[in-house]
Amino acid sequence: MNGARWLAQALVAEGVDTLFGYPGGAIMPFYDALYDVPELKHVLVRHEQGAAFAANGYARASGRVGVCVATSGPGATNLFTGIADALVDSVPLVAITGQVPTGLMGTDAFQELDVFGMSFPMVKHSFIVRHVDELPHIVGEAFRIARSGRPGPVLIDLPKDVQNADASHLPPHAPLPIDDVEAPKDASLHEALALISLAQRPVIYGGGGIALGDAVQDFRTFVDATQIPTVLTLKGLGALPSKHPLNLGMLGMHGSRAANMAVQDADLLIVAGARFDDRATGKLAEFAPHARVVHMDVDACEIGKLRVADAGVRGDIRTTLAKLTLPVAAHLHGRNGPVRKAWRSQCQLHAMQHAARYDAPGASVYAPSLLKKLSESAPDACVVCDVGQHQMWVAQHWQMDHPRKHLTSGALGAMGFGLPAAIGAQLQDRDAQVICVSGDGSIQMNIQELATLRRYNLPVKIVLLDNQALGMVRQWQELFFDKRYSEIDLSDNPDFIALAAAFGIEALHVERADAVDAAISALLAANGPTLLHVAIDTAANVWPLVPPNRNNAQMIDADKDHANALPA
Amino acid sequence: MRYQLELTLRRAEGALTRVLGTAERRGFAPLSVDAHAHADGERWQLRMTVQGEREPEGLQHQLAKLHDCLAVKVQPCA
Repeated sequence: MNGARWLAQALVAEGVDTLFGYPGGAIMPFYDALYDVPELKHVLVRHEQGAAFAANGYARASGRVGVCVATSGPGATNLFTGIADALVDSVPLVAITGQVPTGLMGTDAFQELDVFGMSFPMVKHSFIVRHVDELPHIVGEAFRIARSGRPGPVLIDLPKDVQNADASHLPPHAPLPIDDVEAPKDASLHEALALISLAQRPVIYGGGGIALGDAVQDFRTFVDATQIPTVLTLKGLGALPSKHPLNLGMLGMHGSRAANMAVQDADLLIVAGARFDDRATGKLAEFAPHARVVHMDVDACEIGKLRVADAGVRGDIRTTLAKLTLPVAAHLHGRNGPVRKAWRSQCQLHAMQHAARYDAPGASVYAPSLLKKLSESAPDACVVCDVGQHQMWVAQHWQMDHPRKHLTSGALGAMGFGLPAAIGAQLQDRDAQVICVSGDGSIQMNIQELATLRRYNLPVKIVLLDNQALGMVRQWQELFFDKRYSEIDLSDNPDFIALAAAFGIEALHVERADAVDAAISALLAANGPTLLHVAIDTAANVWPLVPPNRNNAQMIDADKDHANALPA
Repeated sequence: MRYQLELTLRRAEGALTRVLGTAERRGFAPLSVDAHAHADGERWQLRMTVQGEREPEGLQHQLAKLHDCLAVKVQPCA
């Protein structure tokens, strides 16, 4: 047995059943080993970036570690966008890259790059295997680190001679247990409770850490028991069902007006697994100006990083929420009970007054309406987005019921994420209904993965919202750059129907609002991979919007307030 | 503000580079670096002086999160 074979068997021992990759020179011994390890299903993508995003989508949807593989040099660099995305969105991932033989490292050999060195700012940790005897320790540590605490990507750079080296003396791989997450300290819980008990206008601000901490149910229990109005980040969407009466929606740049108003008026923010990202806060110095902050997070780095926490509760989010639920709920009936009730009513009134409308005039397709209808027609679907206007429309209008059923490149905002991530999501559960919502810009960044979709006959449904432009950039140029449209025109897009057909993918087309219902029905009734091409208005924008350098109370809406827009 | 950093690192490939990169990216410019291998051959002892305007606790937390960082102490320079 050589090192490559030992590694393949170690992956099986780690519980890996699927890996996404692309072979090449320096990783060939590993691919040879795969030939004899049928327990590992290898998915051949058509570009290494697709492998990293597919593993990323697999991990996001399942909560398990995603694994991707590439060769040295360009294979490895092509993985990096998907690895970086996993870092900033806290996705457990193990990336395995081939490397030139150790004797050639540092000699500028063919397809040699210092992938290990390049990885540092993009990984939770990385290893280079200098000797086959290091494999058991490194593989065990890689999976342990990827899974433990705040999850993230780990890279293993594996020279070819190490893959070929005799590994028959190595013991079978034994996975390491993940680190116990520290429970929150009682003192910090007491501080949090003291602040919460005094609050008259509290708001819960929930983020991606809720799902990462496997705390969705605990979070819902906390919200229900405390009856505190709740806003969610992009990655927190689904932690509370969209229709929950206390859910005011997403906060931030394209958040709901009700969510942003509540945060700006709040006297206390109870932050659960969120990190004051600039897209959520707007102008940070004016964010939630009246609020004290209880910040609950597993990662000490996030507490106080951007906003001082009056009470920082570091530790396991499930335990934190569970320990706070009853005491906080008890205070509901305390001295501030009536005031809080009035506050809750005010927040809910704002939510009603500023609810999204779907009665857009005209005969053309109104994307928010289509997305809302689609989500209601496929209530159990996992929606996987690309990046741009369509991503924000999904965040605003999709009826979500769990964060692991809304996969989106949040912090990195990587166009090209959607299609390969949808492939990963579908492969982690063949029976799941997976819908990829993309744009004409984004889908062309990894459109080659239509071939992967076809090869494995994955029934992913793609909704391609085609406005023949880079819509989000166009929108900003319209609002903040005096309509000086620079390099956003995609009116020479390919014929997407013909393109899909060339890949063997069935495709449908819709361009009129009165045909949307039939198109959705046809899409969902289709058996295999299917693309619905939706022609939408180039000038359609995402509303509301917090302009740059403004606070979240200064949202602007369509056809009004544009005079308030500031240059970017 | 200037800060003195005292770190104990696992003597692993890339450990020193990660510390330097983390300090710089998080807003602290190195002014001096002194590193030597510990007698047991398994650890680095690293002393750095850095300059930055951000809160030093943030840097301490970020460094502590590095897998190869076994201990870190950050304090203002006298």
